[in-house]
Amino acid sequence: MPPDSSPPHSEDERYETFVSRFAHFEPDLRRFIRSLLPTWSDTDEVLQQTAIVIWRKFDQYDPETNFMKWACVIARFEALTYRRKMARDRLVFREDVMELMADEGGEEVDSRIREHDALEDCLLAMPEKHRQFLTLAYTPGVKVKEMAEEAGSSAASFYMRLKRLRRQLMQCMESKLRTPDIGS
Amino acid sequence: MNFEFDRLSREEQDWLDEYLDGTISSEDFERLQERLLESAELRFVMRRYLSLDNTLQNEGGEAGFDSEGATSPWLSAGGAPREVEPEAGKMIRFPGIVPLAAAAAVAFLLGSALMHWRTPERGAGLLRVETDEPSAQGFAVIERLFDATWREGGSAHEEGGMLGREVFQLASGMAEIQFFSGATMIVEGPAEISLKSAWEASCLEGAVRIKVPPAARGFKLQAPSTEIIDLGTEFGLVVKGGEGHVEVIDGEIAVRHRDEREKLLGKDDALVLKSGAGASKIESGQIAFPDLTSYGARSERKNRSDFQRWTSHRDSLASDDRLIAYYTFDEDERTPLVPNLSVPRNPELDGAMILAEPVAGRWPGLKSALEFRRPGARVRVNIPGEFPAFTFMAWVRIDSLDRWYSALFMGDGYETGEPHWQIRDDGKMMLSVMVDDSRPNPYRANDAGFHRVYFSPPMWDLSMSGEWIHLASVFDPGNQTVSHYVNGSRISEQEIEDDYLIERLRIGNAEIGNWGQPFREDPTFAIRNLNGRMDEMAIFKAALTKDEVARFYEASRADRR
Repeated sequence: MPPDSSPPHSEDERYETFVSRFAHFEPDLRRFIRSLLPTWSDTDEVLQQTAIVIWRKFDQYDPETNFMKWACVIARFEALTYRRKMARDRLVFREDVMELMADEGGEEVDSRIREHDALEDCLLAMPEKHRQFLTLAYTPGVKVKEMAEEAGSSAASFYMRLKRLRRQLMQCMESKLRTPDIGS
Repeated sequence: MNFEFDRLSREEQDWLDEYLDGTISSEDFERLQERLLESAELRFVMRRYLSLDNTLQNEGGEAGFDSEGATSPWLSAGGAPREVEPEAGKMIRFPGIVPLAAAAAVAFLLGSALMHWRTPERGAGLLRVETDEPSAQGFAVIERLFDATWREGGSAHEEGGMLGREVFQLASGMAEIQFFSGATMIVEGPAEISLKSAWEASCLEGAVRIKVPPAARGFKLQAPSTEIIDLGTEFGLVVKGGEGHVEVIDGEIAVRHRDEREKLLGKDDALVLKSGAGASKIESGQIAFPDLTSYGARSERKNRSDFQRWTSHRDSLASDDRLIAYYTFDEDERTPLVPNLSVPRNPELDGAMILAEPVAGRWPGLKSALEFRRPGARVRVNIPGEFPAFTFMAWVRIDSLDRWYSALFMGDGYETGEPHWQIRDDGKMMLSVMVDDSRPNPYRANDAGFHRVYFSPPMWDLSMSGEWIHLASVFDPGNQTVSHYVNGSRISEQEIEDDYLIERLRIGNAEIGNWGQPFREDPTFAIRNLNGRMDEMAIFKAALTKDEVARFYEASRADRR
């Protein structure tokens, strides 16, 4: 058999396929997982676990089918497993809520992508000062109090401002999705 | 779909923000979950809102990452992406950040050939500041403490610490608590306050003063059998033996005592609230409510005198002839150099600051420190000469030990005679000197050369995050011992066995707060920046005694904890 048509993949090729698929869908998968868990670090942990499981099961994946759908099923399972581990944490969804969020969220991957694009536009249109504030607020490792101190304001006003900007962005994003030439 | 944020009830909207900020109360979270089961609209909007949060976190967070971080268009638009000018006009640089956890997982999966994470979990946490999550829980923060002491059996708190649903017990002194609603509470001990949410607290015992700005109007404070709603500005409450005394300092409050009708109280109105009887009006001004101004001034004076005590200690230490180099990291905008203060002054030993950020030191406003949070942050020095012994001494404030090794002072190539002073992620201090870099290490075939690492017992854990500590380690070939000290107390002393004895010590090119020249074959060693700050480091060519270390600690400490 000529080598280019031979189906049995070497471990390396299999790995390359995995990495390219995973890298491509990672942002979508992360958004999906984020909607199920209370914090970024929970999200990171489940995303990582999901990556490992996807790799382990990668030979069961049929390349003709939708990778993201398949990955969402694994991520849903991993999030629920994580939930049982974390169930005593106060902000972890109950199982029925998490399942419902996962089932519906899995169907909305494309909407999430459109929302993300709209959001990028909104961020670009936002006054520089606000954008910088958000960047800072979302920098891992930033402690609210220290940051508030450096900026000469209080932690409370920091949270208020964050909330206001986040809502503004949400409204902007929603209005962009409402206009027919962008939304579907 | 026509589901939008504005169509949610105000309550639902607030729940979503509080969920994102981690400040939602347990009751509200329960109600949120109930509502989620019922409302497809809420579920949809919540997923969308969480996805928005995810985008902000991903892209906001990566902006500070040195090179690999994906730069999103909105971050690079208009000006330098890594520097942010907040309103106060002071430049803040981002701390070093985080590749995606998944990238770490991929690296792990790529096999040990590329990067040797010890375990996959490690990979994920390698660059992450792990202290953030716990500290982000809660709905109030302790702004300031004045001579605070804590009840036995109750929890102790620190300035900057977060408070959630808990009973705050103060044995004596004062605490200023800032709720995320905007309300401020000043508590004078002995006091017991049950904190319920950003909008509600209950004073079980003690004296409090509440200030409520317009944004926090409606803040509720409960006293025995009484509910007080602040309608703006300021009031005081003292609860003692089940009896309350409330007085409006400025503005207006609404008081509902037992099943009586709600009373509105204006400026200078005062009420006595008895649990077995009605509320009765009394003359104002009979009770003194907590007042920060006197405390503040006192603490400010104390702060200043501690700082002055330290500066005179600094000046005398600088002329100690056993010093090799002495750095105090005081901010000087004119130069990126970190001057060596040892006398006679030798500018050759000045350090060069790279990516390290000037931040507040042990006496905020009076003394600055350097923060090494970014992976590339460091101070480079070049110290020629040969020395008979080493003592390293530093004041550091560790945020977290999220590297395998967090560098304090590291010789570049780790060649014969060069020291490595660092902290392992389990909180153990490590001091080692390369004994012979041409001989293999008998214990680990692939290790750098013949040397031994002297570990202290674990001396740091996450509960000490943000606390200033004094560290010292002594390499004493004369007595063949290595000792480690924390806050002036010796925590370990080990023997240098004959085989590992080395008497001619060197430094050469070296770094404070990071390690410049990792072994090329072993990339896991590449990131050793100290996730925290340092505001003083002294290196001696002599072995300081136990008493001297204790004395130096005493002379340089800030009492305010």
